[in-house]
Amino acid sequence: MDELINIFVIGVRTGAIYALIALGLALVFKATKVLNFAHGEIGTSSAFVSLFIMERMEALSIFSSADNPGTLTGGQLLVSVIPALLAGAMLSVMVKVILDRLKDSTPVTQLVLTIGVAVFMVGLQAKLFGVTGDPFPRFINGNAFTIPGSTIPVDWHTIIIVVVLGGAAALLALYFKTPYGVALLATSQDPFAAELQGINTNAITMSAWAVAGAMAGAAGLLAAGVFNLLGPGLLLARFLIPAFTGALLGGLTSMVGAVVGGLLLGVIVATANQINLTLDLGLPGPPQIAVLMSLLLVLLLRPRGLLGKEA
Amino acid sequence: MAVDVAAPAPQPMPSGTTPARPSGPPPRLVVEQWAPDSRGRAQRHAVRIGLVLLVLFVTSLVPDVYTNLVSKAAVFAIVALSMNILVGYAGQVSLGHAAFFGAGAFAAGYTLTELDLPWGAGLIVAALSGAFAAVLLGAVALRVKGLYLAIVTISYGLFAQEVVFNITSLTGGGAGQVAPRPVMPGFIVSFLDGLGGPFSAIAGGLDGATSDLSYAYLCIGFLAAFLLFDTLFAGSKAGRAVRALRESERVAASWGINVTGYKLLAFVLSGLIAAVAGGLFASIEQRVAPADFQFLLSITFLLMAVVGGVGNRWGVVQGGVLFAVLPTLLERSHENLHFWPFTAIDITLEPVISAALLILTLTLYPGGIAQQQHHLHSWLRMGKFKDDTADPLTDPPAVYREDPLADPEGARL
Repeated sequence: MDELINIFVIGVRTGAIYALIALGLALVFKATKVLNFAHGEIGTSSAFVSLFIMERMEALSIFSSADNPGTLTGGQLLVSVIPALLAGAMLSVMVKVILDRLKDSTPVTQLVLTIGVAVFMVGLQAKLFGVTGDPFPRFINGNAFTIPGSTIPVDWHTIIIVVVLGGAAALLALYFKTPYGVALLATSQDPFAAELQGINTNAITMSAWAVAGAMAGAAGLLAAGVFNLLGPGLLLARFLIPAFTGALLGGLTSMVGAVVGGLLLGVIVATANQINLTLDLGLPGPPQIAVLMSLLLVLLLRPRGLLGKEA
Repeated sequence: MAVDVAAPAPQPMPSGTTPARPSGPPPRLVVEQWAPDSRGRAQRHAVRIGLVLLVLFVTSLVPDVYTNLVSKAAVFAIVALSMNILVGYAGQVSLGHAAFFGAGAFAAGYTLTELDLPWGAGLIVAALSGAFAAVLLGAVALRVKGLYLAIVTISYGLFAQEVVFNITSLTGGGAGQVAPRPVMPGFIVSFLDGLGGPFSAIAGGLDGATSDLSYAYLCIGFLAAFLLFDTLFAGSKAGRAVRALRESERVAASWGINVTGYKLLAFVLSGLIAAVAGGLFASIEQRVAPADFQFLLSITFLLMAVVGGVGNRWGVVQGGVLFAVLPTLLERSHENLHFWPFTAIDITLEPVISAALLILTLTLYPGGIAQQQHHLHSWLRMGKFKDDTADPLTDPPAVYREDPLADPEGARL
């Protein structure tokens, strides 16, 4: 029983980060039919912006910890959230501007261009901050409570991740009720007809990219907190491919699907890890096996995803 | 060069008489294409021979410590050719090519070390394992297209790199697998020595039989063989069928082309060639470890094809060489050139520069290196240096695609 609850807690924690990234991927895909491979690195770069601010604050001993001088604190992280999210939005818009040069290309070429941008960002992060990685704080350390009837603790970081995911999803749901959201839906269905109705499609898609970039930034801060470590290419290496798979699992154009798919994939990955551990299979990389199998199963059996609409 | 073009015969039309039907085949209008004179031909042949000699004596031109880099450049050029078959001819994207490359490397290492078989057997096992890995991916590609296939290939590459290459009993785990080099047959050394001149100098370097130098020439030989194969394949019936798939699978099918078979053939050939390159790669440093195959390697392989010029075999080969030597090139120029920009650029900026090359290629020069060398290529092919009728910069000829990775079937989502 404890093992099942443990799988669930770990699965929801990683799955919520997958879902947060998948949500941004799905939003961008809905707006422009582009699968943005640079999405993860937009998040990592935002986390590096936050790290830079926190290190400056620590040097000036603002919000620094009294017990552990030299370590970054949650207070400093909280101050750096807004600049980090803004940086994510700006980077995302920059990717979109580069992509506009390839407007008439096929989706695969656009994907490869975003891969180039992602590699560019990883290289720049490594150049500016080194390849070894730096310690990264959480907002709140320690455990919140123990799940009743078991010994499995739930830490504050997990709760914050889930709350951020819920907040982002709720904001997006509200957004699609506003005229702007409706304009985005219209643009995604037929940009030309939307333009004829007086919608500034360029501004609408730009804002969708900016919102997605800010969500990537939030995912970057939270993901770095999970490991208490931020290195170049963090989201690309550990979260992006599962997030893609989660988005496909839920149906690429469905926001609800992205959240469900991301969370589901988190639980699947945690289950694969636990099976490998319990049965002592000694397999290297159970997450990669689980992700590839989920991806192939959904693409071969239900290509439109669990909640996607028939194309 | 003269081309025969069937032309309607000019008919004399005397008034009042019915025009007589021309008897026999219509006269042929001969259009003279421009051809260089004998001096121009001699110049072109001289440059061609010069380029071949440059490749043959490249080991004498680079410092001895970089002889292994020559081998690596040849191996990467072979991988670029393998990418070109899949991306350039068949129009299928692969972002997990390191899976085939690594499968070949570890298969060769396993055969050589664990099974203690001769070097040739290792290469054959490598080729078979690469072909097998490619059939698995090709089977998925029959059902999944475009963006979705791209994501599957990424995931496949990660699966190979994180799971398969870390199975200790096959790949030796972190320490890796030892992959000894083949022994250079003695008669080649004595033959080269007998030729005298620069050849005997090369023969002197081959003395160790498994020296860096002899291995570099083996890799260059394999590259030449695969270039010849690529030329023959592209012109063959199978090659034309595979290239037809790229334009439109449905049109190809309507012409009776076996879409399933030729698509799998493209995957198998590409995987096989990449795996042979992997087998060659394993013996360069005589040890191959899972750490050699990072995710960025698959991206680098795609960069070689795109930056080189998708669909152009000379372009992608140059792309392969470029990305093989880029880290060393940056390191050396940073150490030896004490002026801007080399003072600012060092080896840590290698991914940034590679990515910038990719972005610039896709946005400005979709034909890559091949497009930039268009004048040179046409001159070497016995044409004019600058063809007035087509300017590749403003009016790209059909050989350079607006969209190097276009996949018309996959474009529909």
